[in-house]
Amino acid sequence: MSSHKHIRVRESTKDIPKEAKLLCDQMLSDLEKAKRPVLEAVKCALDNSFYNPKVGFLTPGKKVVKTELNVSSVQKMARTIFLLEMLLRNVASGAVNTKRELYYMAKGIIKKDPSKRPLDFDDQPESDSIIDFIGDMLQVYREEMNCFANDRGGQTYSKNLVVTETLPDGSKAVVDLGSLGTTPFQPKNKPQTFRLKPKKGKIDFCLVIESEGTANTLVANGMHKRHNCIILGAQGVPSNGVRGWCKTIQDQLRVPMFFYGDLDAYTLQNIFRTLKAGSAASLIRNSDFSAPDVKFLGVLPDDVTKYDLNYYTVNERDAVENRSLKKAKDALENDPFFRDKKNADLADILHWLVKEKKRCEQQAVFSVDPDDPLILEKIIVEKIKRKSYV
Amino acid sequence: MSKITSSSTAEYFAKNLQQVGFSSPSKAVLTTLKESVDNSLDACEEAGILPQLEVEISKLGPGHTRNTDLVQISVEDNGPGLDPEELAKVFGEYLASSKFGRGRCSRGQQGIGISAATTWAQLTNASGVRVISKTKNMRKAVTAIIDVDIKGNRGIVKKKETIDWDKSHGLKVEFRIDGRIVLNGDGGLLTYLEGTTLVNPHLSMNYKMTDQDMVKIERVANEVPEIPPATLPHPHTMKLGEFMTHAGLFGKISLENFFKKGFSRVSDTAIKDIAKKIPKGLMSKNLMTIKEEDFKKIYSAMHEITLIAPSTRSVLTVGEEGLSKSIMRLGEVDFFSVVTRKPTICDFKPVVVEVAIARFLDRSQPDGSESQAQLLRFANRVPLQFDKGACAITRAIETVNWRSYGLNQPKDSVPMGPFVFAISVTSPFIKFKNASKETIDGGDDLIEEIRRALMQAGQKMSRHIRAEGKAADLERKISHMEKFGPILVEGLARIVGAGKGRVAKAEEGLKKLLGRDASSAERELDDATSRLSALKTRERKKFGLEEEVEAAADDEGAPSEEAVIEHEEAVADDAVPVEAKGKGTKKKAEAPPATTRKKK
Repeated sequence: MSSHKHIRVRESTKDIPKEAKLLCDQMLSDLEKAKRPVLEAVKCALDNSFYNPKVGFLTPGKKVVKTELNVSSVQKMARTIFLLEMLLRNVASGAVNTKRELYYMAKGIIKKDPSKRPLDFDDQPESDSIIDFIGDMLQVYREEMNCFANDRGGQTYSKNLVVTETLPDGSKAVVDLGSLGTTPFQPKNKPQTFRLKPKKGKIDFCLVIESEGTANTLVANGMHKRHNCIILGAQGVPSNGVRGWCKTIQDQLRVPMFFYGDLDAYTLQNIFRTLKAGSAASLIRNSDFSAPDVKFLGVLPDDVTKYDLNYYTVNERDAVENRSLKKAKDALENDPFFRDKKNADLADILHWLVKEKKRCEQQAVFSVDPDDPLILEKIIVEKIKRKSYV
Repeated sequence: MSKITSSSTAEYFAKNLQQVGFSSPSKAVLTTLKESVDNSLDACEEAGILPQLEVEISKLGPGHTRNTDLVQISVEDNGPGLDPEELAKVFGEYLASSKFGRGRCSRGQQGIGISAATTWAQLTNASGVRVISKTKNMRKAVTAIIDVDIKGNRGIVKKKETIDWDKSHGLKVEFRIDGRIVLNGDGGLLTYLEGTTLVNPHLSMNYKMTDQDMVKIERVANEVPEIPPATLPHPHTMKLGEFMTHAGLFGKISLENFFKKGFSRVSDTAIKDIAKKIPKGLMSKNLMTIKEEDFKKIYSAMHEITLIAPSTRSVLTVGEEGLSKSIMRLGEVDFFSVVTRKPTICDFKPVVVEVAIARFLDRSQPDGSESQAQLLRFANRVPLQFDKGACAITRAIETVNWRSYGLNQPKDSVPMGPFVFAISVTSPFIKFKNASKETIDGGDDLIEEIRRALMQAGQKMSRHIRAEGKAADLERKISHMEKFGPILVEGLARIVGAGKGRVAKAEEGLKKLLGRDASSAERELDDATSRLSALKTRERKKFGLEEEVEAAADDEGAPSEEAVIEHEEAVADDAVPVEAKGKGTKKKAEAPPATTRKKK
């Protein structure tokens, strides 16, 4: 086991073991007085989300989810304390685990100790929801409790970026992205301490592509060699690693950042909004996991006409497609991000989607000139130049 | 041009027996049994006799047709019997019926069924039906074999002789046909007998199926249901042609008198309203002199005015009391709920819908899984066993949200669980989708009426399910406390590093807290249980079941104590009061008059 005790994710003043102990002590003394202990967690939902354009990301309101001890909640509470104890042990020892590993560890403990058998989890979502509840309750990231997710997305290419990572033991690793050949640099889905610097001068822009495959095509065709830029693939809904990495690029390099993906409600709401302002499900972590300056480069409704792109008509009889349409309408009514005046242009895109009932994929640009492998690169550069983004 | 020939009714049916229920070997056995039993029950009811049936079905060997068995179906009743000269007409002639178009709620209507069974026996085994008959005026019984003369549509009597029969009156039929015996499932013989038992509380029956033991079913009602008399037709149920033919029956009377004598629900005011809409003087004109175009005017005028809905007096109900008692004959009943709706008008026809829902202890799956509930459909007290999906009854049950009554139900389907749903539609004019009377063709009105009956029964039943839910809730809560309480306290103590003293104190506090929850759950359960038992007591008194249930409990122990009737005040308004039904619609069993046995 490594010698470090607590991996720091952010500048947090929270002492998790101490806070957890205080909370448990309060619960125990409530019980001694035959008083019902109450666990409180921030309500992570859209109806408790606020958006201030000056802040730039979704922040939690005052709503909390209260769990009072009663016959119905006693199981959840006992499970919460059981997993909290496991997580605290990890924090104390420095051991790290994924949610799935914790699920099996819990099953192992229960197997060895028959008195704990009632706590047993039937499947992983049961233990996952308790871990999330603990995070919301203590207002800490699960990474701060040494529980990490798999790495996904964020493969980054640049000829002009040098990343210096401070490792937990204090040593430093310097990675020159320009010297990695065909290998990308990939941020981890766990806290890392980075110092980013261009090799020379200033980097012109950072391009986040929704599809990892399309990002790889751009790189294989040498876009990062011809342009002084950073290219990274989001691989769908950005993971915490990708979100944190984009924020680091934005904060440290202060380069214009553009997102390029499909023109549909899902991309705009679930992918782009999460990257730019965080999500309602992760209200307590949005401050460290959002890049408010990122712009939506495309595909824009105007592009569909301008480049005569192939598009699909949303099939309202298809349950999935119809749900996405409903979600778009719902976002316009209830999502504070799209309701804010500052994001009126983005809301206009949603209005267009709802009205026209069309969707266009990011790869449709390849239909503009099938003989030109660089067509996407050319259009992206042209759009950046003429400021065709939202 | 080929020569045009005409053929007899018997010839038509002999070539199209599949249309009247003989489309497969297994259906042939069921239909033959069904026609025989229906005729026996109708005859007993007509004569005011409490029916006692002896049914036996046996396999005699391989059938003459490929993949069939030679099956003997024998049904014996204690009905009035048939005069010897009527045997040929009843069993050998198509469309010879005493019930055709009479507008009564009898099981048989057209006079096709039993002749078709004879034809099937004749076609597959070269011999018609063997009959033994004795009326109360006969000293000896008559036995004969009846065949159908297919070319001439008439019965042929063979091997007629007189024999001694130890019955004062009755009839026995014996068919030997090619068929296949299927006992269980939707189209099974036992399912038919079970259904017939349910809707005929006054029926006693002994039946023996192949090599199985004899089953004895005792009657639970000692009154013969009186088939209400037929009522005159309602003008709004008639088509133009029918209206004119109907007029032809009345001869030289005035139009006004025709309206008064030939129809129900036509008041003097209604006649005045019609008179205003037709040429002057037509109302007092002799029917025989009215021209066709004037009939058309009269017909349109008649449809333009508002009339009182048709009378519902012609419909017959089994009644909640009868259903309640009868349902217990089907197995070990956990609880049940019955509803008899008030007779109503659907599509201008009087209809009454009755529903019985029961949960059976002996039909639960051993592994706790649930299969689809059994659906028993009835039209004029005859079980409908085929083509379930196309039936109005099935459509109605599928559109009720059974989940709100605590039942498991896949979307738009019959609910799941060890339940039997019995739905009976009775009407003198049931619209069937085919001549074999397998499915009811229902308009929106009828489906809605069935739905209402089902929902009332569902409401009643949900009280039992709710009480069960409360009991399960209490059990779960108590077990939760015992299981999770100590683990929670130990976990907290380990994190905090608390000593034994604090742990003991916290456990004490926890017990107090959770004890309060348990007491409140107990109170809820007590409340639900006492409401339910108050209801049970009321219903037992109402149906006079108290002694029987207690006696059954003495014999069989606890489960019968649980077999109770459910009723809910909230729906009582819509249901026919049981006491009220007892008067007028039932008559005591009396000595059989020497009436002619009616056939379908």
